[in-house]
Amino acid sequence: MTAALRGLAGGLILLLGWEAAVRLFAIPPWILPAPSGILATTWTARAGLLPAAGMTLAEATGGYAIGAVLGILLAILLSQAAMLRRVLLPVVVIINSVPVAAYAPLALLWFGTGATSKVIMVAFIVGFTVFLNALDGLTRVDPAGIALLRSFGAGRLSILWRLRLPSALPAIAVGLRVSTVRAMIVAIVTEMLGSQLGLGWTIFEAVLQIDFLRVWAAILVASVMSLAFFGAITLLERRVVFWK
Amino acid sequence: MKALALLAPLALIAAAWEGSVALFAISPFYLPPLRDVLGAIGANWQAYQAAFLITLLEAVVGFVAGGLVGVGSGIVFAHAPRLKQMVLPIFIVSQTVPVIAFGAIIVLWFGNTLAAKAAIAFYLTFFPVTVNTLAGMEAVDPRQIALLRSFGAGRRALLWKLLLPSALPRIFTALRLSAGLALAGAIVGEWFGAVQGVGALLLAAMFNEQIIALWAAIILAAAVGGALFALVAVIEARLLFWREEL
Amino acid sequence: MTEAAGLLDPHLTVGTAPAGREKLGLRGVSRHFGAVHALDRIDASIPEGAFVTLIGPSGCGKSTLFNILAGLLEPDPGGSVALDGMVVPPGGLLGRVAFMPQRDLLLPWRSVLDNAILAAEVQGQPKKEARALAREMARDFGLAGFEDHFPQQLSGGMRQRVALMRTFLFDRDVMLLDEPFGALDALTRSLMQRWLLDIWSRYRRTIVFITHDIDEAIFLADRVLVMGARPGRIRMDRAIDLPRPRAAALITAPEFTAIKRELLEVLEEESLKTFQAGQR
Repeated sequence: MTAALRGLAGGLILLLGWEAAVRLFAIPPWILPAPSGILATTWTARAGLLPAAGMTLAEATGGYAIGAVLGILLAILLSQAAMLRRVLLPVVVIINSVPVAAYAPLALLWFGTGATSKVIMVAFIVGFTVFLNALDGLTRVDPAGIALLRSFGAGRLSILWRLRLPSALPAIAVGLRVSTVRAMIVAIVTEMLGSQLGLGWTIFEAVLQIDFLRVWAAILVASVMSLAFFGAITLLERRVVFWK
Repeated sequence: MKALALLAPLALIAAAWEGSVALFAISPFYLPPLRDVLGAIGANWQAYQAAFLITLLEAVVGFVAGGLVGVGSGIVFAHAPRLKQMVLPIFIVSQTVPVIAFGAIIVLWFGNTLAAKAAIAFYLTFFPVTVNTLAGMEAVDPRQIALLRSFGAGRRALLWKLLLPSALPRIFTALRLSAGLALAGAIVGEWFGAVQGVGALLLAAMFNEQIIALWAAIILAAAVGGALFALVAVIEARLLFWREEL
Repeated sequence: MTEAAGLLDPHLTVGTAPAGREKLGLRGVSRHFGAVHALDRIDASIPEGAFVTLIGPSGCGKSTLFNILAGLLEPDPGGSVALDGMVVPPGGLLGRVAFMPQRDLLLPWRSVLDNAILAAEVQGQPKKEARALAREMARDFGLAGFEDHFPQQLSGGMRQRVALMRTFLFDRDVMLLDEPFGALDALTRSLMQRWLLDIWSRYRRTIVFITHDIDEAIFLADRVLVMGARPGRIRMDRAIDLPRPRAAALITAPEFTAIKRELLEVLEEESLKTFQAGQR
């Protein structure tokens, strides 16, 4: 409890110090607006921010769901095929080592500036993250445990269902948790490059109009959404992986 | 042997690329033949080389600074639990901020300089390193600490002889992850008005709808990523020779 | 035939064990791993209902032998394992003997009861039925009241009892126990040994038990098999005719120490071989 209080205190000190510094040194808003100013702008610009936030959230969660399902399924498939895994895994790692940002322009050219390109980009990054984590979890199972189940006469599917999948759950959960923030970031980055609606687009527009308070307001909204998404998945993780 | 382990999948990707373009008659709008892309890089070698070096430099500066600060703050947090409880939550929240949205503001602060891109790379690097340094130090067996203290080890000796070496594997896990993030930060930083670097090439290719140039830039990004990973891997192999899994 | 085989004509070893028909037979079982010769022409016959312990210096191939008996490894061509007088085909032992590895390997996401029924569940027994059976057995295994706890909430001795219950619930005539009490403290271990004998006398299964503790080997067994240094072979087959039920004080009795001295001599010699091999 005291830990939570200290964290809260730390946050408050940061905000107050920020506010005080801006007022004391009369920092112009285009360099650093005060928290109060950001909050005020968020409120006054809500009519524009809300639909943008809704769009971004829809793209991020939609792509997240698709990517998570595909990633887990692919990992299960490859966990059962050792040969294929040995050939494909390095390829996947190399493709994944290119920063997603580099693929974003491609997605925009191929799938246009609508929501599709964002959903695909999010699904792509989430899919990779979840896939790599899940595969690691599925293949890093205690061999003694597998031997035990085999001695009980268990077959492949039984071992997958009773041992591999539950043992991999913590790793899968980590992948899912990390992916929440990535999903939001990728949706926003892709929107910045080209879209008609979304927080990324709002930020891009505001930068062009030199309206930095609106940039900060959009960042605030995006951060709150990221945090909520992250928190929701973390809560779910605690329930599912109760033994950790 | 290691080179082979890397070359084989690269060759596989190249073969699959060329093969599928020929076999399925893929429109060059989606996937131009690999040799055309490589040809484009060769034809404009100096420009690509310059872009490679600039982006690599931006990423490395931010990455190294972020790594050092990350390890440092991890050590501080490990020794000051109250400070950790106050500041770490802020760090965690700061990571859910879509950092890249900051690109605009950071470029505003620093201008279109190397420092602007390095700052973004820094922001993305230091957090994972901080968290893993802290976790690695906290995971040290207390009995091992007690043993060293019974030998008369002070704080400094404990840190250098036990805590930091024990945390190294986790620190490198974070560094490997951060290398990719730092590069992404540098590339996106270049989107806000830079005229040089891999990010600038990506944007230019997209706006001009030049698919070949776009793929060339993606390959270039992969090359920078590879260089960064190699850097980390070399240092890791030096420092972590005692790890069996390596 | 090897010198080891000369020592152990199974028909001569008649202890207090029910001198029933052979349950498990090993005929010339060898095993190589690449250049490493782990087991060398092992012959042994284990009668039905007997409690046999297997002891030897570390690295003598005990675990390899166990994995063969569990069906997880195949012997080199030429050797065979027979169950109930029938030679078992490759992989044929999987699911036919109840195997308990060194570590308890309890699954943290399953309750005590669900861990105990794991083997039965794999074998296709309906969960409900298996759980009902396990609930009844829990008292015998000192787990009454803990059925719905999770493994991480239990002490080491209790976890081991859950693992043993899992092995017993896997209703097979032959049980293979690989140093089940190795990680327990001496006091708990001694309690568990007597408790295991009690359970065994009630459920009557054929048990093969690995240990590297001589007292444990003698205390539990109808017969002790002593394995020699690598390549592993059986150096001695000693019937233990100490009366049952056995009390804790038995290990200080003169007849116990006499047997112990005899076994120690062989073991010492074998351990020395391993030790000297490491000095060369």
